[in-house]
Amino acid sequence: MDILFLIMAALALVSGLGVVLFSQPLHSALSLVLNLVVLACLYASLGAHFLAVTQMIVYAGAIMVLVIFVILLLSIHGSEKRPIPKFLFPIAVAGAIGFLWMVVPLLQNSFNEVVPDAAKVGVMDGSVEAFGKVLFTDYVFPFEAASILIMAAIVGSVLLARRSTEGGK
Amino acid sequence: MATEYWILLFKVIFVFGVVAQPLASLCVWIERKGSALIQDRIGANRAGASIMYPNSIIPLGTLLASAPRLIQILAKILGILLYPLLWVAKWLGILGVINTLVCDAAKALFKEDFVPEGTSNFMHSLAPFMAAFPIMLAFAVIPIAPSFTVGGYQIMPMIADLNVGVLFIFAMASLAVYGVTVAAWVGNNKFSLFGGIRAIAQMISYELALGISLVTAIVLYDTMSLYQMVEAQSKSLFGFIPAWGVFLQFPAFLIFFIAGMAETKRAPFDLPESESELVAGYFTEYSGMKFLLFWLGEFTEIALLAALMTLIFFGGWHLPGLDAGLTWLSAQAGSGWLADGLAEQGWLRALVGHGVFMAKVSFFCLLQIVIRWTLPRFRYDQLMDLGWKMLLPISLVNLMITAGFVLAF
Repeated sequence: MDILFLIMAALALVSGLGVVLFSQPLHSALSLVLNLVVLACLYASLGAHFLAVTQMIVYAGAIMVLVIFVILLLSIHGSEKRPIPKFLFPIAVAGAIGFLWMVVPLLQNSFNEVVPDAAKVGVMDGSVEAFGKVLFTDYVFPFEAASILIMAAIVGSVLLARRSTEGGK
Repeated sequence: MATEYWILLFKVIFVFGVVAQPLASLCVWIERKGSALIQDRIGANRAGASIMYPNSIIPLGTLLASAPRLIQILAKILGILLYPLLWVAKWLGILGVINTLVCDAAKALFKEDFVPEGTSNFMHSLAPFMAAFPIMLAFAVIPIAPSFTVGGYQIMPMIADLNVGVLFIFAMASLAVYGVTVAAWVGNNKFSLFGGIRAIAQMISYELALGISLVTAIVLYDTMSLYQMVEAQSKSLFGFIPAWGVFLQFPAFLIFFIAGMAETKRAPFDLPESESELVAGYFTEYSGMKFLLFWLGEFTEIALLAALMTLIFFGGWHLPGLDAGLTWLSAQAGSGWLADGLAEQGWLRALVGHGVFMAKVSFFCLLQIVIRWTLPRFRYDQLMDLGWKMLLPISLVNLMITAGFVLAF
């Protein structure tokens, strides 16, 4: 196993926990940024350079910047801690158990496959050409479907925002 | 195997120690002394104690008049030996180099490191690093010279030879926003917050035009590797114009330059730190070395932008006739180390190319600083209009036209 992978995986886990556990929204958002960057580093270590850089530009560089922009603009200091409603506890526990039930067998059966071993997996051809070829031949339908979905989401959000600002037409 | 690591280490030291940081230092010096020139001041010139002045050696001789003869002779020899050094130091002092590069840093080291109340010390310290580190990291994919061969090893002139070099730089530039954000947040006051919000809004607005002008260059050269982009500019158009990006794609260069200057957040785009309204904008609450680190990041970004303009639009290390001239010289030298060095893939040719590259980059650093000291600041609506209503549509149309031409021919 690669020592670099271990460091990255640990960082990803810690920053992922940070997203959930920090009480300040800004700290959570920055943990998420760290998480996304570390994931990008993992992609890069597998040879998928284009994917890594795209991850950094789109998620870390654009989407999270907008999230943080909103946090700054609204000046959200998450200092006051709201008590968690009682009825949420059983639901949370059930959700966690369900998640583990899904993930643990997967990890048990194929932990060696999950750990990216460059020698075993083989370093991918992560160049733009290879990526584009795969994206526009094998995966052209999911790609187009995703674009339509995102387009619908954008139009929908504009519609919702308009209705709320005009106060019910 | 070990040799590769040594080469890599050498590259890292060279790129950061000989290219990136000296360029940033050069920018600092031009900023201090060049702005003085523009404003008809003398500028920084007093650094260096009187011992730095070569003439202070002469009184040393008279002071030692009663000393033994041997000591007098030794003092004289010492004076003769030290004279050139002191002469250089004197001129460095007068030109402001000692002042801007040594004294400023030393002063900042001894300043109080002020952390405002109600913010965490850790985040306060993290912000300047988050602002400066990605910009320095972007230098990892900047090729600084033509590739050359030494002892059987072909050396590519960048630390990481990524095939997505341009995008990597773009990613790093977009990560640099977080430093500003965190600085604005930990400032814990309205001035910092306003500065930070302005900075984010400006950076994401101009990133679009910047990105699309880069896409134009990618379409034009048919590659995303900066090294191959430079090599694509080695030929000439119609036999006399060098095939540089600026001649093929002047609109893209203009958009890239303007949007890039907006990314560095300097005048005329310095609304995030506009000192007449916001004290110092997002780094109002910073002092000492942390404050300097923000500036280091900013000057490194100037150098990065200058390097990108050189590589993508001004032919990198190519000059019209330079390659032919070096080949001719190599033929004249016959054989030996000189001819080998000047031949294709020779180290001397790489050195000459590096010199050309650095000269161009220095020129663009100078140009940016002159613009910064010449133009007044935009109004905020003008800034947004320029970004969204001028640069973005123009760059989109330009991209479509370029793509059409590339497809047609």
